[in-house]
Amino acid sequence: MYAGRFLADANASLIRVGAGFAVAAVLGIPLGAISGRISVVDRLLSTSINGLRAVPGISWLPLALVWFGIGLQTTIFLVALAAFFPIYVNSASGVRQVSPVLLQAGAMMGVRRLRGTFAILLPSAMPTLISGLRLGLGISWAYLVLGELTGVQKGLGAVIMDARMVGRIDVIIVGIIIIAVIGRISEQLLTGLLKLCFKSARRST
Amino acid sequence: MSSRLHVISRREPSVAPKEPILTINDLDLVFEYNSSYLTVLKDIRFAVHPAEILCLLGPSGCGKTTLLKVLAGFMRPSSGQVLVHGNQVTAPGPERCVVFQEDALFPWLTVAENIAFGLKGKGFRRRQQKEMVDYYLSLVGLTAFSSYLPTKISGGMKQRVSLARVLILKPEILLMDEPFAALDAQTRQEMQQLLLELWETLSHTIVFVTHDVREAVTLADRVIMMDKNPGRVKGIVDIDLERPRDVDGQPFLKQCASLHDLLRDT
Repeated sequence: MYAGRFLADANASLIRVGAGFAVAAVLGIPLGAISGRISVVDRLLSTSINGLRAVPGISWLPLALVWFGIGLQTTIFLVALAAFFPIYVNSASGVRQVSPVLLQAGAMMGVRRLRGTFAILLPSAMPTLISGLRLGLGISWAYLVLGELTGVQKGLGAVIMDARMVGRIDVIIVGIIIIAVIGRISEQLLTGLLKLCFKSARRST
Repeated sequence: MSSRLHVISRREPSVAPKEPILTINDLDLVFEYNSSYLTVLKDIRFAVHPAEILCLLGPSGCGKTTLLKVLAGFMRPSSGQVLVHGNQVTAPGPERCVVFQEDALFPWLTVAENIAFGLKGKGFRRRQQKEMVDYYLSLVGLTAFSSYLPTKISGGMKQRVSLARVLILKPEILLMDEPFAALDAQTRQEMQQLLLELWETLSHTIVFVTHDVREAVTLADRVIMMDKNPGRVKGIVDIDLERPRDVDGQPFLKQCASLHDLLRDT
């Protein structure tokens, strides 16, 4: 029943995780950085975001199904939603902890705000940013399976759900192991990519 | 006629008072905390002349570091003004560079990259930039360490990098906030000598904050004595010792003793 499906399933799942995680990172890092720097924004955002964070992801499922129907979009929505919170929270705290002396040093050397953000603020917060991204990626895989349990055709979550229907415990366990392995590999790829792109990621820790 | 020309060409300090490079006019700074007010600096008034080393000397808590932050433009005074060449200071800028007390290097950049940081985006060619960095590396004696990260070098070396990264911007005024306070005695003396050598070649103006009388007498042309509660100027002392100064000689020790007495006398 399972033979030959693996590549197509893994591919479908990777696209969903990749898209959801990308949305979360694109929203989470800037919003987090702004909240970490500007206390007014922090007070506006943090109450609602931390409130929403407490809502279990599964309770979004019915709403997501109503909004996006079964399939790709629902899964991406759930993944993005789940991954957003750790990325946002860590970006905010990383940026908040940047030593003011570094920013003052930049200012006296004539660094303007925009360049300061990319040349000082984000590199300085990089270790915490990376933790946020790694946590976000981990939780992306958890929510991927949740999204795919709703009855999509392809995907690693769908494999597990199908196997349950036909009582194939072995296939369920294989599915779990495959998700674990791919999850671990994708995390390695993420940190490797960050280290390739950013000096501050290469040289921190 | 010829005698007048002769006088002008002689290399002696002119008698006319020099135009100050930095002027502090009636500066007050008040902190507000939980709707109570604390006067940190009161009636600060002095001028800094071009190419002099001016030390701000005072006990801990007299507001000398805070005053330096105001001069740097990190803080606004509650009243009064800071003028550089007659223009009011409103923000930090590369003509007034700061060497901080704490480690303020960028930990993700190597020694050479830290020194080059201020040059980025100023239209220098890569080769030109590298030449400048190499020159300032050799000036502070760190050529062999250019590719090290700040975490791998000693405290004294870090302060050399801090010095090089601001000197490369050719600031008119160097503001130094107890830069050698965290170093051991021997390294501190080395750094003081290095600073004096650099000052003799580059002859920039230096405002140097310290709580160490010996350091002030070693470096300064003039010392501004500060007092606390609230932070204010207690007196200005000229240090008329010839350079290079003999730190074990009688005149040096006498000068130190008299400054000590002045500090204690509150």
